[in-house]
Amino acid sequence: MLHKRQGDKRAKPYAEIDLEECVECAVCLRAGVCPTDAIREQELPWPRVVRKAFSDPLYIHEGTGIPGRGTEEMKTNDVTGRYRDGYIGIGLEMGRPGIGARLGEVEKVIKRFVAMDIELEEHNPATQLIGNRDTGDFRSDILNEKVLSAIVEFTIPIERAKEVFCAVGEVAAEIETVFSMDLICKVAPDGEIPIIAELERAGFVRSINGKVNVGLGRPLYQR
Amino acid sequence: MTHTLHRKGELGDLREDFIVFTMSAKTVNAKGSAHKMRRFFEILERYGSVNYGDMKTGSILSSQRTAIYEGIRDASIVHFAFTDKEAVKRVLGELKEAQLGTSVVVSGLVEVIDQLCRQVGLKMHTVEFSGGIHGRLGLLPERSILEITTMCGHGMVASSLVKEMVRQVGKGKKTIPEAALELAKPCQCGIFNPKRAEIVLERLINQPKISKGDRYESA
Repeated sequence: MLHKRQGDKRAKPYAEIDLEECVECAVCLRAGVCPTDAIREQELPWPRVVRKAFSDPLYIHEGTGIPGRGTEEMKTNDVTGRYRDGYIGIGLEMGRPGIGARLGEVEKVIKRFVAMDIELEEHNPATQLIGNRDTGDFRSDILNEKVLSAIVEFTIPIERAKEVFCAVGEVAAEIETVFSMDLICKVAPDGEIPIIAELERAGFVRSINGKVNVGLGRPLYQR
Repeated sequence: MTHTLHRKGELGDLREDFIVFTMSAKTVNAKGSAHKMRRFFEILERYGSVNYGDMKTGSILSSQRTAIYEGIRDASIVHFAFTDKEAVKRVLGELKEAQLGTSVVVSGLVEVIDQLCRQVGLKMHTVEFSGGIHGRLGLLPERSILEITTMCGHGMVASSLVKEMVRQVGKGKKTIPEAALELAKPCQCGIFNPKRAEIVLERLINQPKISKGDRYESA
């Protein structure tokens, strides 16, 4: 909240959006809280429109066809078979929760995993920002754009888990923001969740709560 | 995105925090799935949810029941938030019988969801855990504030709004339930649990100052 001065007098307080920090999530617009209805969404030319694509959950990415900044990931795994026995899915949600990330920070993490010959999820909106597939470099004009969250997403054979968890720990020390880590695993026929043992071996802590696909989707994916 | 993952909280609070949602797969069974999701909606709305919604139309706290129901399309994701695990069990049982064919995901304590699945004859297919928050943890707000803000996985509930609600309750301008509903409104999907927010708000209001030690450390 700011106060403009009019001569020697202190005028009414007013609010101002810091466009350098604004991620174009549009929550202020939807909230309808401005008493003078002064909040407007400005025109978003390239590259600023990238902020909206990764921050406003109502924006639909052309690459995924679904609202939000991720993919269907495990939510439809019972019918897509995207995560199979012997593999684990990992997502690093850069900027989450609530801090945001410059795309240069996202690029830094992507380059690390590209250098490890890890194939990133093709349909993920962050993967689609890559200009050079050999290095993971983004196009240079977007690096300073700030987004609420962008997900670095990939699937690996479970044998590579320890190596990847180690790299996750290293990139965490190199970035200027935060990320939330997603860990996805198909449940084995005997009910075991293989990723749990891998996490313990790597010294990583996991949550006690999570998301469970209960296998009601049809047709059920068959290998 | 993993919008119902990464909900922070104490074990006791998380025992009363479940989300059940459905979606179809774009490449497999999305075409013509809207009527199945409407059936999902009709089933779940009978079980006493504390919030519900669809991302495109909004939640019941920011939109209307008819608008949400009629706005359901093939690409929709329909969510319901519950506090009662027995209700979730009955929901799962009825969804199993209904054989809608769209994928169903339950968020909550994984051990409890596993038990509920077994009790109705289902098996967990795929599980997703949070591996915690990493990086510059000093940028984060206090853990108790995160317990509220992380109930909207799209990050639409600002930590400053939580502080403002605490201030307004403290000044007597709002009751705790009113403040909890205000916090739930920005969450477009209807996955924010206002009942759980009341519990956390009560805790925040009854502590004179947010402790400097109340920081996020691990999952």
